[in-house]
Amino acid sequence: MAWEYTDKTKQLFIDALSNKAGTHLGVMENPDAIGEDGSIVCGDAMKIFLKINKHSSDPLQDRISAVKYQTFGCTSAIASSEALCAMIEAKNLTPIEALKITNQDIVDYLGGLPEQKIHCSVMGAEALGAAVSDWAKKRNVNLPKATGHGDLQKEEEEGRLVCRCFHHSDLFLKKKIKEMKLRTVEDVVNATKAGGGCGSCIDAPGGIRDLLREINGKDADSEAPYHCADSNTTHCNLNEQIERVIANTVRPALQSHGGDIEIIKIKDKTVYCTLTGACSSCLGAQFTLKNSVEKQLQDLVDNTIKVIDI
Amino acid sequence: MNLNETIYLDNNATTKIDPTVVTAMQPFFTDYFFNPSSLYPQAQTSRYAIETARAQIASFLGANKDNEIIFTGSATESNNSAIRGVLQANPSRKHIITTSVEHPAIFELCKDLERFGYSVTYLAVNENGELDIKELINAIRPDTAIVSIMHANNETGVIFPIEQISRIVKLTDNQIIFHTDATQTAGKLTINLKANFPYIDLLSFSGHKLHAPKGIGVLYCKAGTRWRPSMIGGHQEHGKRAGTENVPYIIGLAQACKLAQEHLQTENQIQDMRDRLEIFLKEQIKAIKINGSGNKRLSSTTNVSFQGIEGESIIYALNEHNICASTGSACSSGSLAPSHVLQAMKVPFSFAHGSIRFSFGRYNSENDLQKVMQVLPNIVKSLRKISPFWDSNNETPTGF
Repeated sequence: MAWEYTDKTKQLFIDALSNKAGTHLGVMENPDAIGEDGSIVCGDAMKIFLKINKHSSDPLQDRISAVKYQTFGCTSAIASSEALCAMIEAKNLTPIEALKITNQDIVDYLGGLPEQKIHCSVMGAEALGAAVSDWAKKRNVNLPKATGHGDLQKEEEEGRLVCRCFHHSDLFLKKKIKEMKLRTVEDVVNATKAGGGCGSCIDAPGGIRDLLREINGKDADSEAPYHCADSNTTHCNLNEQIERVIANTVRPALQSHGGDIEIIKIKDKTVYCTLTGACSSCLGAQFTLKNSVEKQLQDLVDNTIKVIDI
Repeated sequence: MNLNETIYLDNNATTKIDPTVVTAMQPFFTDYFFNPSSLYPQAQTSRYAIETARAQIASFLGANKDNEIIFTGSATESNNSAIRGVLQANPSRKHIITTSVEHPAIFELCKDLERFGYSVTYLAVNENGELDIKELINAIRPDTAIVSIMHANNETGVIFPIEQISRIVKLTDNQIIFHTDATQTAGKLTINLKANFPYIDLLSFSGHKLHAPKGIGVLYCKAGTRWRPSMIGGHQEHGKRAGTENVPYIIGLAQACKLAQEHLQTENQIQDMRDRLEIFLKEQIKAIKINGSGNKRLSSTTNVSFQGIEGESIIYALNEHNICASTGSACSSGSLAPSHVLQAMKVPFSFAHGSIRFSFGRYNSENDLQKVMQVLPNIVKSLRKISPFWDSNNETPTGF
């Protein structure tokens, strides 16, 4: 994907990179609230720090006086963080007013973001929401429900969060599984990206596999395993016999010449091995394998046995 | 953006076309524009030119016969044609073996074939990017149709022991077809099929990785291989790939292969630059990983992970200094997951997202190397200052 960043996005990134005066990059000493979103697993994460002037009697009249951030992510994730901080600081907002800043406001401030990068702006809005929740907890303020911020409130309204990387709830995923007739984990990943990041939600209890079973019935996602001919008893006995002949007949003969044989694998009457010691550098090694080792195994065990030097 | 000042370190993505390649192609756009299939003598010049080119490329690969070389439009086409062609020609066999680190031209094709009822084994690699031979042997089934394993990895440059792998496969079951995607090695390593790789049945590569233009590829198909063409139509390419031959590009590819053979020695100089860059980065920057460095690698390629920062922002910052490199990580592809190759190598997430690839080529100079060494440590430092996963005061990663 080519860079389709606006000049504003590029400028904010370069400013942050060069640590230009007036940018909001860095850790805040003694912040009044902290919010985080994303994780290193997903490839982007943001931490936002708020300094809040506390009103003497009414916490609802507290005002955000300074904002700082740290961001792990791509060019536009860093620019989105800078944009968010600048927007908050410029307006002297109360925390609850700040919650009204949406990811779309961040996109507009930047003059647009490529579609694949919209999640960068979402991350900014989510981190801010988490910071405001932190403030609310410390100041004993009940956040208005309609804002949809804060993990607990989110769970009630939007279901249980299943995929943390891409923020998909069980309700959303169940709806998609039904609507799009998704059958396998891979279908779900392709359709929704859920499970496509760290993958930890695929097999977690209540995870994607469980949701698929819940919607599609028990056996929907089971794959028929391939039965290898190796598992039947004749082969097992054969393998034992081969090993016995190698240990009792082949190996002593090789060792008497200062060499040895290493068995890598025995499968379907084929012995994958390599000659070691003096034999490994011997020009007659191939000849030895075919005419001595293979011949002895054919004579003593089964005349269709094949020896492959790896 | 000044093209003249561009420092191009992305030669695994594509390469600059050699001027002598352009010169060789030129007459076939203008004077010898004829259709090589036409009967009149004017057209015979074009016919003669592509058959000469075919012979040159056969010798470049060390093929037994000239007509084992099929010209295609790209390495992706060659790969598709190789695998689909084998499956069609061997309908009773429904199993494919490949690796978990293939280029999308194989990886996504195999995923697609799974949707059509084929079963695919994706062999894992270890932290060094190596395959486990035992796992390969285990994977071989009576209904295995094709084993397709790349020669060298495009992201890390790790080279697979293709001779050994193809030998094991063919000696186990001669009916299994062995294919290798040699897109990253053709022109960089000597591929002498006759002498060094007698068990390879099919091999793909493309021109634009070795200083020929985009839009031309090769599928080598050993005589007698059970394989069917995918492109049906005219009799071109001995009926193995219908469509009027891309005459100028075929001529260009032959010239590029000739040059690559002559330049094989310069691979030492390229390796010297790559090695010095790696030594410099290890000395100057903490918490980095050179992916696949414990293994045999292409001398041109380095894949470096910087802990705690994200690859796309490194690439962007490098490009502010006119340096072109690439990332196999998350944001470049629009998906948030890091490169499937690094994931398969179990590179930790805190490193994997901050991975970039430099790939050197014939046109790189000492200046290019110096410029990268001059700017990269500061870029990493600045981005780590921004990152919540790095403590810049103590120069250590923080909790994830």
